[in-house]
Amino acid sequence: MKVRIDLDKCYRSGECYYNHPELFEMSDDGDPALKVTDLTDAGMRLHAEQAAEVCPAGAISIEE
Amino acid sequence: MAEALQEQQPPALPNEIDPREFDGPAFQRDPFPLYKRLRDHHPLFHDRFHNRWVLSRYWDIDGAFQDNASYDRAVYKPDGPYQFGSTHVFGPNILEYGNSPQHRWLRNIVAGQFVGNRLQVFLPMVAQICDEVIATFKEAGEVELVSQFSSQVPIRVISNMLGLPRQDEDTFVGWYQALIAGLGFGGEHLARGIQARNEMWDYLDPLIATRSKTPGDDLLSRIVSAELDGARMSPDEVKGFVALLLAAGGDTTDKAIANMWFHMMYTRPDQYADVQADPNLWDDVFTEMMRYDPVVHAQFRHTTREVELHGRVIPERAGIILYLGAGNRDERVFKDPDTFNIHRSDLHMGRENRSGRYKDGKPGHLGFGIGQHFCMGYAMARQEAMIACTKLMAAMDTPQPKFDRHPGISSPSIDSGGFRSPQELVLTFNPV
Ligand code: HEM
Ligand code: SF4
Repeated sequence: MKVRIDLDKCYRSGECYYNHPELFEMSDDGDPALKVTDLTDAGMRLHAEQAAEVCPAGAISIEE
Repeated sequence: MAEALQEQQPPALPNEIDPREFDGPAFQRDPFPLYKRLRDHHPLFHDRFHNRWVLSRYWDIDGAFQDNASYDRAVYKPDGPYQFGSTHVFGPNILEYGNSPQHRWLRNIVAGQFVGNRLQVFLPMVAQICDEVIATFKEAGEVELVSQFSSQVPIRVISNMLGLPRQDEDTFVGWYQALIAGLGFGGEHLARGIQARNEMWDYLDPLIATRSKTPGDDLLSRIVSAELDGARMSPDEVKGFVALLLAAGGDTTDKAIANMWFHMMYTRPDQYADVQADPNLWDDVFTEMMRYDPVVHAQFRHTTREVELHGRVIPERAGIILYLGAGNRDERVFKDPDTFNIHRSDLHMGRENRSGRYKDGKPGHLGFGIGQHFCMGYAMARQEAMIACTKLMAAMDTPQPKFDRHPGISSPSIDSGGFRSPQELVLTFNPV
């Protein structure tokens, strides 16, 4: 399972990194970045799914 | 003799800061000269008199807002954790949960109600309330904007959003005024505020019970029935949140509208002509007002560990005050910071981001805070202010301030959360 962030769509709302700091972090310019790449952990999968759901720009997607 | 004594005192250094200045009336009226001395000469000021550290530069404030590991909003007693809700006029609410997972949970349960499509459905009601309020004074050709308009609209909007019966609106306005007064001044006001809160809570109890069972489409139903990972807010948390909404969402938006009109009438009447030609520019009036002299000037944090800044060390558990109003005038960030200009090219205009970072590369205003506790009502406040100002402008032909001179915008107490606004703003106009 992989998380993808489409930085063209993302407008830097910050929702993913403030709500799921376990998985995302803010880079200096405000773009979100992934902190963790291994998503075998069930907790991390949940963070990924919730972030994809609430991203106001629809910029986060999950690939199996 | 007295003269001789005075002469013997060493002249105060021009840039030295006496902490009592923060309590004086001059600071409440015009804090900007002191802000500048802070930024230029004391970017990290240790105020021993009030037992706190003061931050005033834009990027230092941004840094504190972004650094959850070092700064927290929850308040602790020196000897242990704070007792939630026992002394706060609002009761238990999101403001007191600091950076905990509980805060994230509580915020996410309700945050979605104030943005996007959920917000859009309430906008026709906002417009209707504005029309109703404007009708109460329009034919007179004169309005005291604060008491007759700006302080009337947001509280009625919230009351309607919550789906309270319209005949209770005036009672609600009364509780609201007592709660707000109880916020900043303590003592007798605090007691009255807590009494108003209790009355309001008794009033809300049965409503919460029925709407949890049979929810409608109103905000109260949505709050009581919203679920996150299968859990709902407790009735006490619902009541604390409603009380908070009145102040965080009512009083602030109220003062934002008054400030926008003050600046259009007194600070930049030339730019009011631009806004009349293109009412969409109210959006930029809102943004520039939130930079130039925002409603809320101060936010509080305390350190959760030692923090190094400007070559000094702030100890753990130290009180921190962030002057948003000072950061917004930082000449390191904004050109001609003391000029109110809705056509600014060095400020991010339009919708704010919780991250404070924008793709146009421009800095935003600090008036809604940034980060973990970024204002939840940012979209609602902007939309509501836009509708209110546009409606009012359309009802008035050639509005003029009634008095040439105006004492200006002030606050009862910037440091105790007193919000800045004009006390009165009288306009005359020809009804349209
Ligand atoms: C122009 C109007 C407004 C101003 C100037 C304003 C200002 C602020 C500021 C500066 C904060 C940050 C607090 C912090 O950093 O600790 C904040 C938080 C908050 N605001 Fe607003 N606000 C406004 C309108 C609203 C509205 C309309 C609502 C209604 C939904 C609202 C609800 C809140 C809430 C619930 C928080 C706490 C968020 C959290 O702790 O996560 N505000 N506001
Ligand atoms: S939630 Fe979406 S829009 Fe917001 S920063 Fe993350 S990816 Fe970007």
